[in-house]
Amino acid sequence: MRKTMLSLSVIGSLMTGVAFAQDADAFRDGFIAGDISWEEVQARAMEEGEVNLYYWGGSDQINIWMDRFAVPALAEEGVTLNPVRITGTKDAVDLVLAELGSGRGLGEGSVDAIWVNGENFATLMRQGAVMGAFADKLPNSVNFEWNPEDPRSLLNLRDFGVETNASEIPWSGQQYVCAVNTDRVASDDVPSTFAEMRAYLEANPGKFTYVKPPHFIGNTFVQAAVYAHNPDGTGAEPFQSSLDELGAEELARLIAPGMEYLREIEPLLLGGDSGNARYPEDPNALNGLFLNGEIDFSCQFGLYGVATGLRDGTYPEGAEQFIFPEGNMIKNKNYLVIPANAPNPAAAMVMANYMASVDSQATKLEIAGMPPGVDPWRLSDEDAARLDAASPGLVGVTQAELDANTAPDTNATLVDVIEATWLEYIERDSEESISSIVATAVANLN
Amino acid sequence: MARKSASIALNERLSPYQKLYLLLIAGFILGPFIPLIIQSFAFRWAWPDLLPGTWWLEQRERAVLPLAWDYVISPYSQVWEATLNTVFIGCVVTVICLFICLPAARVLARESFKGKPAFEFFLSMPLIVPEAAIGIALLMIFINIGLAGTYTGIIIVHLIPTIPYMIRMLTAVYQGLGRDFEEQAMILGASRWQILRMVTMPMLLPGIVAGALFTFLVSTNIFLLTFFMGQGKIVTLPTLLFSKISGGTLDASAAGITLVVTVPGIILLLITERFIKEEAFGKGFGN
Repeated sequence: MRKTMLSLSVIGSLMTGVAFAQDADAFRDGFIAGDISWEEVQARAMEEGEVNLYYWGGSDQINIWMDRFAVPALAEEGVTLNPVRITGTKDAVDLVLAELGSGRGLGEGSVDAIWVNGENFATLMRQGAVMGAFADKLPNSVNFEWNPEDPRSLLNLRDFGVETNASEIPWSGQQYVCAVNTDRVASDDVPSTFAEMRAYLEANPGKFTYVKPPHFIGNTFVQAAVYAHNPDGTGAEPFQSSLDELGAEELARLIAPGMEYLREIEPLLLGGDSGNARYPEDPNALNGLFLNGEIDFSCQFGLYGVATGLRDGTYPEGAEQFIFPEGNMIKNKNYLVIPANAPNPAAAMVMANYMASVDSQATKLEIAGMPPGVDPWRLSDEDAARLDAASPGLVGVTQAELDANTAPDTNATLVDVIEATWLEYIERDSEESISSIVATAVANLN
Repeated sequence: MARKSASIALNERLSPYQKLYLLLIAGFILGPFIPLIIQSFAFRWAWPDLLPGTWWLEQRERAVLPLAWDYVISPYSQVWEATLNTVFIGCVVTVICLFICLPAARVLARESFKGKPAFEFFLSMPLIVPEAAIGIALLMIFINIGLAGTYTGIIIVHLIPTIPYMIRMLTAVYQGLGRDFEEQAMILGASRWQILRMVTMPMLLPGIVAGALFTFLVSTNIFLLTFFMGQGKIVTLPTLLFSKISGGTLDASAAGITLVVTVPGIILLLITERFIKEEAFGKGFGN
């Protein structure tokens, strides 16, 4: 008797699970088709009650902003935000894929949203693990440029060259900026091109290094070097095409001079004199080297990194930003994606809508130093002024100088290959030619 | 009082070399804490300064966000949540582990049966197989049955590496106990419950406390399995610390959290010190 009761209740709970999943599917399809009003989304979000946002938790400032601003704001909407701090975004992506693999669909997973960009998003897209086109249908979507005719919409429509199809909403826009310790480097010696950097390192060996690929901050430095050494002199332009369009041979030809340069400067990098150049694993480790004066320059994403770093003591007192490399300072956005098996899809959208609001963007900018992801020309003058006022400020450079030296990110399909080539050619000192390394890397991808 | 006289006696008994040796040992154990404590009060501490150039307290008023210890004790750091989780999981694991291991140890110590050596070897398998291998395989299973990301899931995986330790310690204690005392009580007319309560348990107590202490400490230190099963949702002190220092740098708040992580173990050691007699540990590790 007890056994039958038990199995009945198990079947019962399974059936409600199935019913709920179908219900969630219908909700998603209805919302994407535009049949469900925002009020209905809000009502459903309240019913769902909670939303699990997985994000890189390595920054105290972002953690504080989440707890102090985002959590209370969503509580007003009747949604409990669970900010889940993770050490690597890939962990959350793997979790989503593992759950999808074991048959957990919409309404049944454990991740409602992930802070992503680049390869991690490309992986989710490739595996069909995103919920769908929600980003341009939120009330706060008006804060973004979605019109493909307008070239300024590029970063909203493409993430490292991969079309987002509105499956993720921009959260923050970043630029790759280098900082110099002016207490150690005379202003005349601050390099602005890769050639000047080499000259500086020849005079001051060991005083620079960059984050190690495959960390995206390291990848970005490699990409900037590759752009600057593009043999055709066309900079970032050819790297906007996908691997299929470009072909392995052409890619190898384009990246060879940049890779050559990176190999040549390796003995001049930190620890390079002993034949073992040191590449820090992540931005925190890079900050440590910069603070201790082991390196004179530190390159990473962070328009306001110096301002906030001075504020919390992680940057040396003489830190200033500078323009490097001229014309090739990579700019991109990062996003919030809702996975295909989000347990609380409506609450996830309410959360995404809040994250896209001017209010949250302004406090996030002020507290965490994260540049806005909304497009200023889409905002009212008042809102735009509010964002300006919230900015922690640039140190040593102007916005106009940064804008004049912008370059787009590399297509995500090329990033893997460039990364693999760096690992083989620089890290493992392979004797093979770059074209054969690239050919192997491309073959390994497929 | 007793302690004081003991320390005087110790002082007289030791040769200068022995004292130096003790001092060195103490230096090795306590030494690493010194830079940690200094760092936890620093605002900016860069090479080659022997002490921080700027202290946290100097910047405290001007700080936009809580720094150093302000951050550690604020809810943003999740330290309190992690401590509660760690202690809760540790306690539950210890109790369950005791219930599983006490009867098992009794049998292992006193009975002999076919395949006993093989069984004992099997019991220590979890200590040999890498945690990562167990963790990934279990995660797949736990996701399927809905235990991933739950306290139950974490407690179950914590039992895997703790049971071997506990069984070994308790078996050793049981072996040292002998049956004589229990038989004597039985002859004098004690019931089985009375024997357990008034004879066996008191004699086992030092061993049980030592085993429980050890289990608790092992449980509070498990990182990898907790990380897999908690999926980042359940924060314990080791996972919190890992996310803080995995970058390879130790800022003031990370140093503060590191110091907090050592606290449960120290408190526990102080509490249990009076329960534990030297021989309990000695026997536990001997065998």
